[in-house]
Amino acid sequence: MLYRETGQYKTSYAADSVIFPIRQDRIGVMIVLAIAFVFMPLMMAFKIPPFRNDYILLAILLPFLILSLAAIGANILIGYCGQISLGSGAFMAIGAYMAYKFGTGISEIGLPPLPIVVSILLGGFSAAFVGILFGLPSLRIKGLYLAVATLAAQFFFDWVFLRVKWFTNYAPSGSVSAPELKFFGYLVSTPIEKYLVALIFVTIFALIAKNLVRGNIGRQWMAIRDMDIAAELMGIRPLVAKLTAFAVSSFIIGVAGALWAFLRLGTWEPLAFDINRSLELLFMVIIGGLGSILGSFLGAAFILILPILLIVVPAEIGLPITTETVSHLQFIIFGAMICFLLIKEPLGFARLWQIGKEKLRMWPFPY
Amino acid sequence: MSDTPQTLLSVENVTLKFGGVTAISGVSFDIRKGEIRAIIGPNGAGKTSMLNCINGFYHPQEGRITYKGETRERMRPHVAASQGIARTFQNVALFRGMTTLDNIMTGRTLKMKANIFWQMLRIGPALKDEIQHREYCEEIIDFLEIEHIRKVPVGRLPYGLQKRVELARALAMQPDLLLLDEPMAGMNLEEKQDMCRFILDVNKTYGTTIALIEHDMGVVMDLSDRVVVLEYGRKIADGTPDEVKSDQKVIDAYLGVPH
Repeated sequence: MLYRETGQYKTSYAADSVIFPIRQDRIGVMIVLAIAFVFMPLMMAFKIPPFRNDYILLAILLPFLILSLAAIGANILIGYCGQISLGSGAFMAIGAYMAYKFGTGISEIGLPPLPIVVSILLGGFSAAFVGILFGLPSLRIKGLYLAVATLAAQFFFDWVFLRVKWFTNYAPSGSVSAPELKFFGYLVSTPIEKYLVALIFVTIFALIAKNLVRGNIGRQWMAIRDMDIAAELMGIRPLVAKLTAFAVSSFIIGVAGALWAFLRLGTWEPLAFDINRSLELLFMVIIGGLGSILGSFLGAAFILILPILLIVVPAEIGLPITTETVSHLQFIIFGAMICFLLIKEPLGFARLWQIGKEKLRMWPFPY
Repeated sequence: MSDTPQTLLSVENVTLKFGGVTAISGVSFDIRKGEIRAIIGPNGAGKTSMLNCINGFYHPQEGRITYKGETRERMRPHVAASQGIARTFQNVALFRGMTTLDNIMTGRTLKMKANIFWQMLRIGPALKDEIQHREYCEEIIDFLEIEHIRKVPVGRLPYGLQKRVELARALAMQPDLLLLDEPMAGMNLEEKQDMCRFILDVNKTYGTTIALIEHDMGVVMDLSDRVVVLEYGRKIADGTPDEVKSDQKVIDAYLGVPH
């Protein structure tokens, strides 16, 4: 009854093509943003339960935000343009290490340490550049073969950041630490501040991504995904469409990688961006919903939060099981849920959400 | 048809081979500006291959294709699109995951000029593009009477409507030459009548030249100004519907000859 667009008339095409054409959706998004930007930080600041310690913030919210951003990037390539990629972890690594290099200055070319926001964005651009290079084969190869080609990127960059000492500023241990996190002269150190920085980045990039996918370039990506021959006959150049998808996707993933390294890890080594990270992002995209920005968030939430719940819940209700059993159970339940979900709804949570909304619009009438 | 027929496209001695198989051998015909030209023939006669040659998807080994006075060598399909050739497909080739409106908007893609940075923010030229081209697409949506399915993903539409959306998408390109590959295949009588009406309307209203492949002879004879008949990759007849209808070779091709 509450969720219905009856009586909301659009009198211009501009009004009809906004992100949330239904008023109730707009109100909902405002509430979510208000909670994320104002309510949550206040709860954290005053340590109101469940924010008694930083656990929820550092172990759940911060990773959720940053991985959502990476999932948005992966979704642009995999979900919107239909190019399967297993190299997302590598692009996160490129973003992280290049942001680190720009943030600490590149002495060989006399580049001083750059401001942190600039470094993060340059990290993203570096990833975009490499993304374009590894996207070139996509013109010739499709599907699983492309996945293998992007897998090559993953292993190549794992090796590069481990062996080429230049990227780690010749650190003997091979691990590097983020430069001082000064955003426009303001030093970010507490978890709340990190959370807010991540939130700002995610909000901006989610908006940009949404604008792209509902614009001309997004339609080109989807056309290539759905029927590449017809797309070409409409005047879309496959190479351009695919490479822009690779570039935009890698850029966003690169920025997410830099944020992950700087805000979440602080000190990291190449292992942080290995093949598992790539697979994790792929799962997020598939489970959340291919071709959906909202789905990226839902997928990230599912992949991150379910394992934590599987650990916390048995402990809370006092089940006498060992930690070993818990970790095994976690794999079993997690795998089963993924299988179940993909059989029941191959288009992921985003589709479920959409179906729910369509039902709600009719409720309480059957049609 | 205009008083002085002007040739829009001419096909001369085109031969297309796939390895040892000759799909089209030495076919010539022309398409005049503003006419509806039908290409008919039994299955495997090379009709679709002919369309694929015209819009640059296949490259004939021999022969010349002259479009708007320009003879071309090898051409990519997207170049053909930018020169104003649009087409629909025998088996619907819509973008299934996109809504009807998005599918039609894709037809405007060549006319949208805003760069990616404007598109990111969806302001200025990008927003202007979106709204301006939306207006044009809405005109076509009105024209083809598909207002009610504007926001429905095309994968969920029934077949007849999908065909109509495909026509809409091709029309959105404002083509000079529209290639229709069996626009009425698998339709019921009512849908066929609608489609015929749309094809005639498109031809009259927008002055679009149409090349049409169709198996329903009633439709072909009623709609088209001139008909070319192919059999086994060769042209066996060319002329007005009445001439073609009474041509003995055409009758043989369709009905078979006693041995």
